Amino acid sequence: MDYFLQNFPQQLINGLETGSLYALVALGYTLVYGILQMLNFAHGDVYMVGAFLATGVAVLFVHGSVAALPAAVVVVLMVLAAMGGSGLLGIAIERVAYRPLRDSNRLAPLITAIGVSLLLESVVQVRISPGTVLVPTNALVPQVVAHIGSVATPVIALVLMALAVLLMVGLDLFVFRTRFGAAMRATAQDREAASFMGIDVNRVIVVTFLLGSALAGFGGVLEGLRFSTVDFFMGYLIGIKAFTAAVIGGIGNVRGAMVGGFLLGVLESLGGGFVSTAFQDTFAFMALILVLLLRPQGLFGERPVERA
Amino acid sequence: MTARTETIQGERRSALRQIWEAGPYAWNQALITPVFLVPFFLVAATVPLVTQYFVDNYGWTGGEFWVRIAATCAMYAALALALNLAVGYAGLLNLGFIAFFGIGSYTYALVASDQLHVHLALAPALLVVVLVTMFFALLVAAPSLRLRGDYLAIVTLAFGLIMRELTLDLDRPPVLVGHQFGPTGLNLTGGTEGVHLVDPLRLPDAFPLIHGAALQSRTYYWIFLGLTALFAYFLLRWRASRTGRAWMALREDEIAARVMGVNSYRYRLMAFTASAVMAGVVGMVDAAYIHNAFPGNYDIQQTVLVFIMVILGGLASIPGAIFGAVIVTVLPFILQPLVLYKYLIFAVILIALMIFRPQGLMGTVSMRPRRALGGTLELFTERVEPEEQEVGAEAASTAEVEAASGAIVAPPQRE
Repeated sequence: MDYFLQNFPQQLINGLETGSLYALVALGYTLVYGILQMLNFAHGDVYMVGAFLATGVAVLFVHGSVAALPAAVVVVLMVLAAMGGSGLLGIAIERVAYRPLRDSNRLAPLITAIGVSLLLESVVQVRISPGTVLVPTNALVPQVVAHIGSVATPVIALVLMALAVLLMVGLDLFVFRTRFGAAMRATAQDREAASFMGIDVNRVIVVTFLLGSALAGFGGVLEGLRFSTVDFFMGYLIGIKAFTAAVIGGIGNVRGAMVGGFLLGVLESLGGGFVSTAFQDTFAFMALILVLLLRPQGLFGERPVERA
Repeated sequence: MTARTETIQGERRSALRQIWEAGPYAWNQALITPVFLVPFFLVAATVPLVTQYFVDNYGWTGGEFWVRIAATCAMYAALALALNLAVGYAGLLNLGFIAFFGIGSYTYALVASDQLHVHLALAPALLVVVLVTMFFALLVAAPSLRLRGDYLAIVTLAFGLIMRELTLDLDRPPVLVGHQFGPTGLNLTGGTEGVHLVDPLRLPDAFPLIHGAALQSRTYYWIFLGLTALFAYFLLRWRASRTGRAWMALREDEIAARVMGVNSYRYRLMAFTASAVMAGVVGMVDAAYIHNAFPGNYDIQQTVLVFIMVILGGLASIPGAIFGAVIVTVLPFILQPLVLYKYLIFAVILIALMIFRPQGLMGTVSMRPRRALGGTLELFTERVEPEEQEVGAEAASTAEVEAASGAIVAPPQRE
């Protein structure tokens, strides 16, 4: 019990840090699912591409092969490149792979999504690197560890978590307070009715992909800066976990995805810390099964109405 | 179809030409007749003998190599047929498919190697493999099949991942909350090393052509081919049965099928489990063939590869799945310089196929919506040529008959 009490705060903070990452990626799943009722399996790989874009910027400007810039500028450039690049990639994926299949049965877009996922992974694997790539984090961010009571955590992790929360609050405001957000929510409720009300549904879908993918890109920067490595397969696991987070929160529900992300992160961290490190990834899966069994609509979701 | 076309056109045309002009749906129909399938499997069975002939008489050195490739083709054909049962027939997107193949492999490796010092004979080993894969299939499917289809995809994807993690982690006894389960030194899966020196299949000595000699690639080729033939037979039999029709009705429109009294949960569970067990049996033979169960063989890319085979050939098409398996397996060997780009090329093919020709080469399932028929978008659509539609009620697809009469009907018999 003493062991538990001593380590609980540390595990909690670790869980929240990981959870912020899950929440960022989960938002992309939940936004797309809310509006198109489709699983964007390629989302995890959009996140991976974002991480690689940021790493590319870092490598170019830190070691000065192009130009040596101050660290702060490089980090801002990394974020811009990752979010912009991922956002555009998300739009391109929607345009090429999903839009032609929007009215076909449910299986078809799922299969193209798997294809896009495999495509992105193999492009990065073949053209960039089949192994892990190091991010020069030492030159970019101060490697200071903050000690708060018994808890020790890198300052950068806290800063990134705060930024992630800021982005999420921004998204929440966008979806719930702006005119365009209202259009998004209307499209999610009923695409046809929304188009009758004069909403440009295609534009809503494009913006949805842009937002979701840009958030995933930021997640990629976050992981690169915190763990200093990226690899072509990194999106796979995060994708599944983030999807699990979205399901826990109630898929299609923006706030649910955020809460689900943090919950899953904490759950995993506690499970890994106190139950078994080897089975850390298994906890997410078990959480998914449990949620599906006990409350399939998720914590905040509404029970879906089946329509013919 | 043949007879009808003749009466409409009022002219005689050769049967072959009619099949050619009738399009992929008719090709599929023509290729699943016993008249074609039985000779096909018999001819396919002679492949190792033909290569042996060239090796013996012309000093060809590639004989063994190509027999191995043929064995791989036959293995993937069996896998593609198993996946086709879940995806093509019942519309269940099982993204952890290869995990069941892996479970079959590991189960056989554990009961037929020195890992646990157990060496079962063929029949008990087969029974254990079937029971274990069935257990895991039910474990995954029972909770997730109660929900909407999308969830199955993600649960099975996660399951595939978990199985991979387990195979890597179970080289030592699991520790939960500081408590160790199992004796120290317990090594189930061999971790990243996998399980080695797995027994070859212990076939009865009475088997022709292999008696006495050690099992060779060609023997496994025949076993895989036999499995392919068996699975093709199962699929064809199921297709015409009440169960098969229930699967297809569920695939096309779950709500409509349930209204008609189809127990969606039970039938889906059946399709998922049968498909998983078939994959497990193939996995068992594969473990015996390559003498090990190695975690790298059960990656997510393998699942996608089998998916590509099924979709390239056409969902729910039996010759299509076999054809797809052969193409996808052989192509990388022919295009050696491009082998690095293998998955890239396959991914592009997969996306392009889904967009431009979702029914695949010989598919019987169209992904296109048919708004003309009532409100449902996902109807059972066969490719019906415009000229045939003029015939009227007789040419109506099963879906139209179903929509009109409200009963699940057998597909019209076509000669």
